[in-house]
Amino acid sequence: MIEVRNLTKVYGQHRAIDQINFTVDEGEIVGFLGPNGAGKTTTMNIMTGFIAATSGDVSIGGLDIIADAQKAKAQIGYMPDTPPVYGDMRVDEYLNFVADIKGVKRSLRKDMLATIKKQVRIEDMSRRLIKNLSRGYRQRVGLAQAMVGYPKVIIMDEPTIGLDPKQIIEMREVVKGLGSKHTVILSSHILQEVSAVCDRVMIINKGKIVASDTPERLSANLNRGNNRMQVRVKGEKSKILKALQEYPLIRNVDTQTSPETGTIDLILSGEKDDIDVREVIFKCMAKNNLPILLMKSTELTLEEIFLTLTGDVRSGPAGYGQAGIISGDIPVEINEEPANEFEEVEEIEAPEATPEEETPVGGDE
Amino acid sequence: MIPIYKKEMRTYFTQMMGYLFLAFILILIGLFFSLMNLRVRDANFQDVLGSTTLFFLFLVPILTMRLFAEEARHKTDQLLYTSPLSVTQIVLGKFFAAFTLFMVAAVITMLFPFMLSFYAESMPVSRIVGTYVGWIFVGVSCIAVGVFISVLTDNQIVAAAGTFAALFVMFLMDAFAISMPTSAFASIMFVALVVVAIAGIWFNSTRNILSSVIVALIGVAVVVGLYLINNQIYDGIIVRVLNWFSVYARFNRFAVGVLNISDIVYYVSFIVLFLYLSINVIEKRRWR
Ligand SMILES: Nc1ncnc2c1ncn2[C@@H]1O[C@H](COP(=O)(O)OP(=O)(O)OP(=O)(O)O)[C@@H](O)[C@H]1O
Ligand SMILES: [Mg+2]
Repeated sequence: MIEVRNLTKVYGQHRAIDQINFTVDEGEIVGFLGPNGAGKTTTMNIMTGFIAATSGDVSIGGLDIIADAQKAKAQIGYMPDTPPVYGDMRVDEYLNFVADIKGVKRSLRKDMLATIKKQVRIEDMSRRLIKNLSRGYRQRVGLAQAMVGYPKVIIMDEPTIGLDPKQIIEMREVVKGLGSKHTVILSSHILQEVSAVCDRVMIINKGKIVASDTPERLSANLNRGNNRMQVRVKGEKSKILKALQEYPLIRNVDTQTSPETGTIDLILSGEKDDIDVREVIFKCMAKNNLPILLMKSTELTLEEIFLTLTGDVRSGPAGYGQAGIISGDIPVEINEEPANEFEEVEEIEAPEATPEEETPVGGDE
Repeated sequence: MIPIYKKEMRTYFTQMMGYLFLAFILILIGLFFSLMNLRVRDANFQDVLGSTTLFFLFLVPILTMRLFAEEARHKTDQLLYTSPLSVTQIVLGKFFAAFTLFMVAAVITMLFPFMLSFYAESMPVSRIVGTYVGWIFVGVSCIAVGVFISVLTDNQIVAAAGTFAALFVMFLMDAFAISMPTSAFASIMFVALVVVAIAGIWFNSTRNILSSVIVALIGVAVVVGLYLINNQIYDGIIVRVLNWFSVYARFNRFAVGVLNISDIVYYVSFIVLFLYLSINVIEKRRWR
């Protein structure tokens, strides 16, 4: 459906994006993930024909975005990072204007707009002036605008930025719903978001695609299975360490005081690679009457994969690199695990069922 | 084009600019009408029109300052330029909206001579009609300039001030032109500068030295070729080029009541040139 070949954009001396290649199949939901200034917006602006690339091509449904601009653009709905709305229009007026410029037939329009307003839940706002809407609602009008005309491809630049948590969840539902009828590309800094809604994640950093895979497989590639666990145990440190010595199968990798008083955080791994250490840890602690308060795999979360791949280990999202337990210097060895973010982490690890497909990263060098 | 046109017409009347423009232009013309026609019992309405062209300097920016600057400021240009509309359709839609408002004003002012015709013994009809045609051409030319300047910035105030300045320079162009040197040397320097500028623009957009040099050489060849065909072709060229931008200079010819094809062609090409430049600037900015 979408083909991007050797896309490069140079601003002055600065390469905003550098030889990007990828394809997106029909019906796929793809997430661009990258830190600020990675080139997500630039890529999307080029794909939608808003700006031109320095070199490379984009084709949408086989139509070149420059050579066949009108036809190609007719297949795209774009929601830029700032909703392109006119403050002095009412929501209905605005959506009608968008339908006009997209050439939606009069006969289809009424139903289409009603359906879309329902989908993004702005029915109650129809008569409101857009400038009086809250940020979240303006964002939804921006999304509704992209959906007008039911384009085959919908491209969204940070659709959930500035929304409250409830609206974020709602927005995710809307986006997921789009996947059945449209090919969707969205961008985000937020990993949960991308892993919650996307079939495939493309991690972009400094203008290059550094990884492209399903959210699960991305973490599977770098994870250690059940061989390495983070454990929080209630009890004295010396007692715990002594207990561990009785079990040579478990290797104590690192120890740290946990935020809960009277408990210890440990990173434990199996002596051999193919051991499932969970049972052994349980037996060890149970025998010594040391309650296990928490045990979780140190499988890399998307957060860590992201930081690993973008080579930005210690300056990641808030809270990173301070409370973490770091072992080893090789990027893949990183096991940063801020104890206070467990709830969030659990959310990530319950990923959506993903269709069976494997799309290799298209030649990022 | 139609959706953009409708949107702009709507905006003129939701954001006051339309009313402001109509109010200003009608008050001004009404004022001059009462001073120059009613009070002195004179039926020469064309004099009123002639006196009011100067006010286009600040009337036209009211119409055009918002057109593109505001879209860029609010990022709504992303919607327009990623829609299936072409840049030409967008520029024309906006231009015709401004044009329509201007024509509405023009038609309303026609009431003044119409009223006059009931009381005057004789009306200089052909002169008034001729002057109207010229007045409208001057106004629409100013609008085309205003559209072009609005494309260049994302700030309405800058667009308004820029349009005012550009129209002001155009207004004084006659005076400028007269003071320009007409010597052969100056003319040749001027032509050379134009060739260099074209090659420079070419280089700026292609970043290719070889093709830029070729463009420069072709330019020189054309210049020399034209000179060989007609060795007077560059005489006083600076004055002639500047005069071309002197929209107001030709206005006086209409006042005599003569509709000259060449003048009409001139105004139409002036308008088309500035719309074409606007379209090109937008395309250029996005295509690089
Ligand atoms: N018009 C411009 N002129 C010069 N440089 C630009 C321009 N637009 C973007 N850049 C640069 O290109 C790079 C990529 O920017 P881009 O907006 O695509 O990043 P992003 O991934 O969308 O970031 P964010 O997450 O902050 O939205 C940045 O370094 C930015 O400074
Ligand atoms: Mg961005």
